[in-house]
Amino acid sequence: MRVGVFICHCGSNIAGTVDVAKVAEEARKMPGVAYATAYMYTCSEPGQKEITDAIERDKLDRVVVAACSPRMHENTFRRTVMKAGLNRYFFEQANIREHVSWIGLDKELNTKKAIDEVRMAVEKVKRNKPLFSTSFKVNKRVLVLGGGVAGMQAAIDCADGGLEVIMVEKSPSIGGMMARLDKTFPTVDCSICILGPKMVDVAQHDLIKLHAYSEIAEIKGYVGNYQIKIRKKPTYVDWTKCTGCGLCMEKCPTKNAYDHFNFGAAPTRAINIPFPQAIPKKATIDPEFCRQFVKGKCGVCAKVCPTGAINYEMQEEIITEDVGAIITATGYGLMGIENFKEYGAGRYPDVITGIQYERFLNASGPTSGHIIRPSDHEEPKTIVFISCVGSRDKSLGVPYCSNFCCMYIAKQAILTKDHIPDSQSYVFYMDIRSPGKGYDEFTRRAQEEYGAKYIRGRVSRIYPKGKKMVVRGADTLLGTQVEIEADLVVLGNAVVSAEGAAQMAEKLHISYDTHGFYVESHPKLRPVETNTSGVYLAGACQGPKDIPASVGQGSAAAAKVLALFSKDMLESDPAIANVNINTCVGCLKCVKTCPFQAIVEDTLRNGKKVAKVIETVCAGCGVCTSTCPCGAIQLQHFTDNQLLAEVNAICQK
Amino acid sequence: MSTQKLKEIIKQVLPDVETVICWQEGFDKLNVTPIFITSPEQVDKVVWNSACAQNLASYLPSQKKKVAVVVKGCDSRTIVQYMQEGLIDRNNVVVIGMPCKGIISKKKVQKAIANEPVEEVTFTDDSIKVKTPSGEKTIAVKDVCPSKCTSCQFPTPIVYDHLAADAIESDKPADSVYADVAELEGKTLEERWAYFAGQFDKCIRCYACRNACPMCVCQDSCIAETRDPHWITQKLSFDEKLMFHMIHSLHLAGRCVECGECERVCPMEIPVAKLKKKINKEMKALFDYTPGVNPEDKPPMYVFNVDEAKIKEHKL
Repeated sequence: MRVGVFICHCGSNIAGTVDVAKVAEEARKMPGVAYATAYMYTCSEPGQKEITDAIERDKLDRVVVAACSPRMHENTFRRTVMKAGLNRYFFEQANIREHVSWIGLDKELNTKKAIDEVRMAVEKVKRNKPLFSTSFKVNKRVLVLGGGVAGMQAAIDCADGGLEVIMVEKSPSIGGMMARLDKTFPTVDCSICILGPKMVDVAQHDLIKLHAYSEIAEIKGYVGNYQIKIRKKPTYVDWTKCTGCGLCMEKCPTKNAYDHFNFGAAPTRAINIPFPQAIPKKATIDPEFCRQFVKGKCGVCAKVCPTGAINYEMQEEIITEDVGAIITATGYGLMGIENFKEYGAGRYPDVITGIQYERFLNASGPTSGHIIRPSDHEEPKTIVFISCVGSRDKSLGVPYCSNFCCMYIAKQAILTKDHIPDSQSYVFYMDIRSPGKGYDEFTRRAQEEYGAKYIRGRVSRIYPKGKKMVVRGADTLLGTQVEIEADLVVLGNAVVSAEGAAQMAEKLHISYDTHGFYVESHPKLRPVETNTSGVYLAGACQGPKDIPASVGQGSAAAAKVLALFSKDMLESDPAIANVNINTCVGCLKCVKTCPFQAIVEDTLRNGKKVAKVIETVCAGCGVCTSTCPCGAIQLQHFTDNQLLAEVNAICQK
Repeated sequence: MSTQKLKEIIKQVLPDVETVICWQEGFDKLNVTPIFITSPEQVDKVVWNSACAQNLASYLPSQKKKVAVVVKGCDSRTIVQYMQEGLIDRNNVVVIGMPCKGIISKKKVQKAIANEPVEEVTFTDDSIKVKTPSGEKTIAVKDVCPSKCTSCQFPTPIVYDHLAADAIESDKPADSVYADVAELEGKTLEERWAYFAGQFDKCIRCYACRNACPMCVCQDSCIAETRDPHWITQKLSFDEKLMFHMIHSLHLAGRCVECGECERVCPMEIPVAKLKKKINKEMKALFDYTPGVNPEDKPPMYVFNVDEAKIKEHKL
C-alpha cells in the first residue's frame, strides 16, 4: 500500500497556526506512507495536479489530503483521484482547518493535533475498500411544503419549468402570512392585490396539485424517490360540493370561535372561510367550537347549506404521493404575548401584536379596515409601537433580530396617519434596521412626513390608567424617563420558528438550529440546499425573512430542483449498510430500529433468517451498525474496523 | 406434592410437543441438570427442588419445533423478553410454570459444608439437609440462596399455560431489587473503579457467562471472537477483559432479565450481573421499562424514536 499525504496551507488559514512542513515530515514516517508534501492551496488547479502527478510518479494507491472540512472539498479531491485512475473512495480528507487551525492559537499543540488527524486518516484510508455507485431513475415531481409566498413562488417556477408540483398547506387556504398583511413596505402597495394573482396562478396551473388543510404524515425514501404520506384533515365540509357562498358562516350560531387567520384579533364563527380571496374558497368547521361537536346538537349549517356539503362524520384521510424532491417553505411563527409580563402578558385588551394591528388595518379584516381599541371599539388617537419585543433578548431565548419588524412598524405608523389623520404614533426602538432597497428612505418618511415620533429606548412597563394604557420607558438619547398615555399599544413581537418545525425537520432528516430554523448547507454558498440531498429551503423556515427575500429564495429553490431534474438518472451513494450473512444471527434488531425502514427480514436457502438492506432506501445513517450486537451489519466506508483503526491511531500510549 | 403434579402435567402435554425441557438429578443431588423428555418413561427422572437453578428457557430460541419448558418465576421473564424481541413464537412453546420460594446456590452450599463430598441431600420447602462424611447439616435456603432470590418480585411465573403448584405472592419489597446497586452508587468513583477493576481482572475469558446468558443471541458470531469487526483481541490483558464485560453489558442494556445465570456459572465468582443490573436501573429511570415483565412492551433499544420522553435531546 502506497499512501500519498498532501498537507494544505490554505494560505495562512492553516499554515498560520500549524507547522505544515512538520506535519508532512511526520506523515512521511507513518507506515504505508510513500509520499508526503505540503502545498499552498491544494484545492487549486496546480494543487490538484500535484496530486495526480504524485499518484503517477510514486505509484500511489491511496490519497490523504489534510485541509479544510470534507464538506468543502471532499468532492473536489474525489474527482481528482478518480481522474488519476483511483477509486474515489481511496481518498480521505483530514480536517485540520475547522478542527485544528481555526480553533486554537498554540502552534505547537495545533501541529501535534494535525499530525494525529493525519495519522487517523492514513490508518482509515489503508482500510478503505473500492466502492461503486449505481444509478437510479428520478421521479420528476416536486413536493412544496407550505403555501405562503415562498412556497407559491417555488411551485409556480417549478410548474412553469414543466414539473408536476404537489403543494401541501396546513391551513384551509394558501397565502400564508402575506395574505394577512394590509400593505407591504416600502411601496405601500396592497398585499393581497399583488399576492392574489400568484394564488390564482397556483390554483389554475395544470401542473400544480394543491392539498389544503393537510399535513405531512410520513416521508420515506431518498432523493429522486420519495414516498410522501399526506394527512388530509377533516374539514367536515365536502369541498367538492362547497361553493364558498358563505351562507353557513352567516347563520352559524357560534360567534366566539378563535380566528386563526386573524390571530385572534376578533372572534369568528365555528364554520368559516378565512378571507374573501381564500384559495380554495371553501368552508371549514372548527370542532373545538362547533356546537354540533361540543354539545352534540345544532346542525344549522347543514340545514342552510344549499349544496348539502356539510358532513359532520368526515374522517381524516391519508393519501400517498411520490415525488423526487422537496421544497420546504413552512414559514415562521410569532412569539406569544404571554411571554411579556412587563407588557401585561395578554391581560390588557389594548396591548396587541403587530399582526393583529395589521388585521385591523386590512379592509377584509374583522373591523373592515377601521382601527379600533379592542376594549371599547373606539378610535385610538395615541398609538405606541414597541419594536424588539422578545427579539434580541437572550433571556427569552431569541438572541437574533426578527428582520422585518422595524420596517412593518414604520409602515403601520404611516398607515395609522392615513387612517386617522389626527392621530399621533410613537415608536420605541433599539436600533432602526432598514438595509434593503428603499427601506431607509421609508423609515425616514414615517418620521419626517408622517410625524411618527421615534424614541430610542426600551419600555419597562405598561399599565392601565382609566381608559388609557400608560407606557413607561426610557429615552436614551435624551437620557430621560418618558411616560406616554396611549390608547393602543402595538408590540412588534419576535419571529420564532413555525410550530412543529423541529418535528418536521426530523421527518425530512434535515438539520435545524437551537431556535428551530432550518440549517442551510452553507450559509453563503449553498443557501437553499440542505445537507439532505433532494430537500431545499425557501422563505422564513430558514430564518426571519421579508417578502422579497422569501420570493427570491423560492425561485432559487425551484432553480435547484429544475437543475436536479435535468438528469434522468441519479448516482446512488455506495456508503450504505451491508449485511454479512455469514455472521448475521437474525435477531432483526436492525429491522426494528432503522429510521428509514430500509432493512427487511430475508430467509436464506438453508432456512436461516437474516437481515437484508434495501440499497436504494438506506440513507447510510448507521443506526443499524450500532444496534447490531455481532457487528454483522456494517456501514460501507465507515466500518467498525475503519473507525477502530482511527481510534487506535490516536489512542496509542 | 408439586413434583407429582409437575410429572402429571408433563405426561399430559408430551403428546403435543417435540420435547419437554425439565430438570433431573445430576451426579449427586446437589447437582441438577436439564433433561429433554421425549417419551413418557423419562418422566420419572424429573425432579423439582431448590437445587433446580438452571434457567431452562435459554434453550427456546434454538428449538425448531413445538416444545414445552418448565420455568420458575424468574426464568419466565426470559420467555417474556424473547416474546418482546420476537425470538420465539409463543404458539410453539408450552410453558409449565413452577412457583418457587427460592433456590440454592451450589457454591454457597459447598462453602457451608467446607467443600466436603455430598453423600445425601434432603430437600424441604425452606431448608436442605446435607449429609457429608463428617455428619449431617441442615441449612436454611435463605442463607445459601443467590442474591436474586433475596429480592424476588416474581415467585410465580409471569406467563404460563400450566401451573404445577399454587401461585405465590412476592413478600419482598419492590425497592429491594436494586438495593445492591444503590449501595454501589453510594461509593466514590475511585472506589467503584477499584471494585470493578478488581473483579474483572479475575476474568479468565472462558465466556461461560456469555454462553449461559439467555439473551446473548449472537452465539458463534460473538463480537468477542471475530476479527471483522475486530473490537477486542485475544490477549489476556485487563483492558481486553474489561472491554469484553463492557460489550456484554451494553449488549444487554434494557434486555437483561436478571436470571443470574452469568454469576451462577462464573468459575471465578465475578459479580458479572451487577453492571447489568445498574444499567437496568438506569433504563427504568430513563424509559420506565423493566425487561421481561410485560409481553406487550417494546424494548427501548428496539425502537427508533426521534424524541424520548425523558431525554431532552431536542430542546424545542
